[in-house]
Amino acid sequence: MSVKYGILTLLFLQKNHGYELKLELESHLGAKGKINPGQIYTTLDRLIRDQLVLSIGMDDQERKLYEITMEGKKELENWLLEPVPYHSTKEDFHFKWSCARKIDFEQEKKMLDQQKAMIMKDVMELTKFKTEFLLQGDENRYLLITGTLLHLEADLNWINQIENRNRL
Amino acid sequence: MIKVRNLKKEFIQGQERTQVLKGFDLNIEEGEFVAVMGPSGSGKSTLLQLLGGLDVPTEGDIVINQSNLSNMTEKERTIFRRKYIGFIFQNYQLLPTLSVEENIAFPLHADGSLTKKKNQIIIELLDSVGLKGLGRKRANLLSGGQQQRVAIARALVNNPSVLLADEPTGNLDRGKAEEILGLISRFNRENNQTIIMVTHDIFAAGFADRIILFKDGVIDQVISRKGDDYAKYVANFMA
Repeated sequence: MSVKYGILTLLFLQKNHGYELKLELESHLGAKGKINPGQIYTTLDRLIRDQLVLSIGMDDQERKLYEITMEGKKELENWLLEPVPYHSTKEDFHFKWSCARKIDFEQEKKMLDQQKAMIMKDVMELTKFKTEFLLQGDENRYLLITGTLLHLEADLNWINQIENRNRL
Repeated sequence: MIKVRNLKKEFIQGQERTQVLKGFDLNIEEGEFVAVMGPSGSGKSTLLQLLGGLDVPTEGDIVINQSNLSNMTEKERTIFRRKYIGFIFQNYQLLPTLSVEENIAFPLHADGSLTKKKNQIIIELLDSVGLKGLGRKRANLLSGGQQQRVAIARALVNNPSVLLADEPTGNLDRGKAEEILGLISRFNRENNQTIIMVTHDIFAAGFADRIILFKDGVIDQVISRKGDDYAKYVANFMA
C-alpha cells in the first residue's frame, strides 16, 4: 500500500489532519496492520514540498489541517489510471481500486480496461515462457509460471466481476 | 492475409431483428494466432462462422487469401472452405461410430477417393497429435482429450491455411486443455497456420499472439503480446 496515494485519496474527499488520516487509512483502505504516525507526517511533509498538498492552518483543536492541491488531484488521477504490473510489489491494484471507489473516480472503467489489458499481456508473455520451459523439461520454472498465471487469472476474473456488477 | 471490413450480421426472427455484429474492421496476418474473447452474446462465435464461410454477413467484406467470401455463391464458399479452412469445435463433432482414421479422413472423401498419399498423411497426423496406434479405435470409445486430438487431426488433414477453433478446450480439464493448446500452437509455429480461437478462458487465450476483446458486437480492445525487451524483463523476473 502507498501511504502517499492513500493520503491523497482521503484529502481528495475533504481537508483533514494527520491523526485522522492515519485512522482513516487503517480502517477504510485495507491497510495491513498499523501505520506508524511518523510515516504519515514525513509523507505529508514530502507532499507539501512537492506542492501536492497544502498546510492550511489549525482546526479548533489546534491540529494542523491539510488540503489537496490541483497538482495533487492530477497526480492522484494519473496514478489511478496507471495499470499495476503483476511483478511490482510496491503497488497493489486492489488498493488502487479501493482509492478509486472511495472518491467515485469517474474514469473507473478506463482504469479497469487498462489493468485488464496489462494482465492479458502478462498472461500471453508468461504462457509463451511456460510452453518453452515445458518443452525444455524445466519442471520447476514451468510450475512457478503456472502459479503466477493462476494469480493473474484470479485478478482478471475479479475485474470481470467488478465490470459485471457495474453494469447492473 | 485476412481482411474484415465493416462486418455486420443481423438475425431476423419473426418481427424481431437482432444485430449481433455491428460493423468493425479487422486484419489478421498470415501465421498469426489470435484469440477472440468477450461475454456471451458479444458476437465472437458469429464472427467465426462468418470467417469460415458457414454463414454470410448482412453487410461488409471478408477477404481471405485475396478471395472475398461475401461475393461467393454457396457452392464456391463450400469449395473454398474445404481448401483453406479447418474447424475445431468445443464438442469435437466426431462421427461416433466411425473409427479414428475414418473421422480424420472424412473431409478428404468430399474431394474424391482416398489415395495412398492421403492415407500416409492420416498416419502422420495420428502420430503428430499423439494418437499413434489408435487409428482403428471407434471415436466414441476415446476420452475427451483424445477426441479433441482426433478433431484437430481432422481439421488439419487438408492442410488448411486457416484454423478456426470455437472453445476448443471448453470441455477439458486444465491438464488436457494445456496439451491441446500446446498442440494447436505447435501447428501454428511449424506450419505457419493462421489460428483464430474463440474462448472465454484467459488460460487458453494466453497461447495467442493477440487477444481481441469483443463487446456488444464490436471490438472493444485489442491486446498484443509485449516486445522483446519486455520478454527479457519477464525472464529475469522469473529467474
